[in-house]
Amino acid sequence: MKSSQGKIIGKDLLGLGLLLLFLILFLFSDRVSTSDYAEALPSAWINVNTIFLSIVLEAIPFILLGVFASALIQLYVSEETIKRFLPKNAWVSLVPAAMLGAILPLCECAIVPVVRRLIKKGMPLHVGIVFLVAAPILNPVVFASTYYAFRTNQTILYTRMGLAFVLAIIIGAILYSIFKSRPNQLRSQINVSLANHHVHLDGGEDLKQVKKASALTQLRNTLYHAVDEFFMMGKYLILGAFIAALFQTFLDRSLLEAIGGNEYSSTFVMMVFAYLLSLCSEADAFVASSFGSSFTDASLVAFLVYGPMLDLKNTFMLFAFFKVRFVLIFMVTVTLCVFTAVILLSGWIL
Amino acid sequence: MKQPYDHSFHAFIQGIILVGFAMLMLHLILTGNIVYYIAPMMMPFIYFALVVFFLLGIIQVFRSTTKTDHDHHECACEHDHHIKGPSWVKTIIYSIFILPIVLGFALPDRSLDSSVAANRGIQLGGGGNASSSATDNSINETDQNNNGSTSRAEAFLEDPEGYMENLTTQSGEEEHYQFEDIYDEGWFDDYYAELYEELMNNTVIEVTEDNYLDVMTVLDLYLDDFIGKEMEIVGFAYRETDFHSNQIVAARFAMTCCTADASVYGTMIESEESNRFDEDTWIYARGTIKKDHYNDQPIPVLVDAHIQEVEEPDSPYVYPSF
Repeated sequence: MKSSQGKIIGKDLLGLGLLLLFLILFLFSDRVSTSDYAEALPSAWINVNTIFLSIVLEAIPFILLGVFASALIQLYVSEETIKRFLPKNAWVSLVPAAMLGAILPLCECAIVPVVRRLIKKGMPLHVGIVFLVAAPILNPVVFASTYYAFRTNQTILYTRMGLAFVLAIIIGAILYSIFKSRPNQLRSQINVSLANHHVHLDGGEDLKQVKKASALTQLRNTLYHAVDEFFMMGKYLILGAFIAALFQTFLDRSLLEAIGGNEYSSTFVMMVFAYLLSLCSEADAFVASSFGSSFTDASLVAFLVYGPMLDLKNTFMLFAFFKVRFVLIFMVTVTLCVFTAVILLSGWIL
Repeated sequence: MKQPYDHSFHAFIQGIILVGFAMLMLHLILTGNIVYYIAPMMMPFIYFALVVFFLLGIIQVFRSTTKTDHDHHECACEHDHHIKGPSWVKTIIYSIFILPIVLGFALPDRSLDSSVAANRGIQLGGGGNASSSATDNSINETDQNNNGSTSRAEAFLEDPEGYMENLTTQSGEEEHYQFEDIYDEGWFDDYYAELYEELMNNTVIEVTEDNYLDVMTVLDLYLDDFIGKEMEIVGFAYRETDFHSNQIVAARFAMTCCTADASVYGTMIESEESNRFDEDTWIYARGTIKKDHYNDQPIPVLVDAHIQEVEEPDSPYVYPSF
């Protein structure tokens, strides 16, 4: 009894200590960050730190929007609603999924928790995947930024959008044919049916419970969900951001540019760039246009299509939510599809 | 024997971490150092996150005090939210969250420097694709359809911040630009044509934080017209390995959302004073525009320039102005 009480006090102290640490840092940050030890750090590591914090701070609001959207879906969208709006035929449902992606302005940080929630709510896996790869590219904000970045070369804009739409459907179809017999690819699937029991409205007990739940309780649950999900996703985001910051600082771009000579290798190199740099899809067009002089249009399109579908930081988040085998097959599929499509197109429009 | 999941403890720690994030954001905003990390355009999202983190943090700490929380919670989906594994795994996971907060407070806030610029490659012209296909745009042509839709550019020039705010509020949280802008094809040419007029009428072209990228673009589009004009510019000193001893670049990072997407622009300066300045010192230069070539690309060069060291500007980065 004594020891367990001691444990509780110890844990409380741990939390309070952490709070105290933050407070001290908050109050004396200037003194700490201008002290000798901080000045003595190599500037490369200061750059890593700057880029790391920058990615984390920039992504956090969008993760929050994503987890709130996810929490709202959890509480207010029922399985029945999703079933009603999706076509019965698995192949036909791919097209509206890609179009839905085009309407919702969600970036690649916010989309992962939303898609996971929709799949948990009974959206078929392949439809969720279409949504996952289409939404970060086919959205009005990305359209606008690509337009501005490539205003003298609008082919890139239209190829990017067109390719994203078509490839999203193709990727969805491929994954459907691979996984149609095993649709449960989310981690911790045990709770799927339980997870929805309070919106199912089939058991009498549940029905009463739901009716009793006040608006306040609903709000409270939404917030709890949001926090839990933030802590689930956040760690992967932070790890991904850190590794991306290392690449951003230490990867010499001219090295990769040197091997980007012909159509195949430059497309490949730009896809590697897109993956490692982990840019937000809203801003990647500007970076792509800065590569304009040394890379072909086709490889720029590869950069712009591949990056939002798959990059370092969202790979970490995918591993958090989906089974390892599924993520690996997903990555291979996306990579092969984008590469093949760009190579095919390069002989034709680009 | 397996230890039961201690909800109140985890809620408590999580709440404090959330408050920590909010404190870091508040600190960066109060000191103004947030400009080193986030583009002004994205600031509304940071304010949003700041408020939400404070609220969630406080709610989470309260949640930790209600011991029976879990039984009341009618939603059974919570199990997969548990942070699993033995206690050392949990320690690592929380450390991952604490790390950026501590780093943010403890390490100096500095802008990216020339080593990053060297890695990313610098653009000495107006930038990538603009130079190749747009140089044949004659200014007279764009001048002729200059009557209609200049109001947007004017509104922006008069009050850039208000203009941006309007855009943000009008188009909802996620969108930074109005959708119709995309279809407003003539706008760009008009905007640059106007800036071109303005720059041509000035005796000295002053490159500031606000007009940096636009001036670079206009200079790139109509370089021939600007030969012989005087220009003044501020940037950090940067050299490529193959530069002559009298050559130096005044460079700026241009950032759209965060430093990960920052690309480097620069203006080549030729002056006898060049070799006095170390890389990464902030310099002011004033000289005459000449057309030259670097790696077979036409670039503007400031010749006979006077250079002096200056303080780092309040906003070390420059941002796209739409």
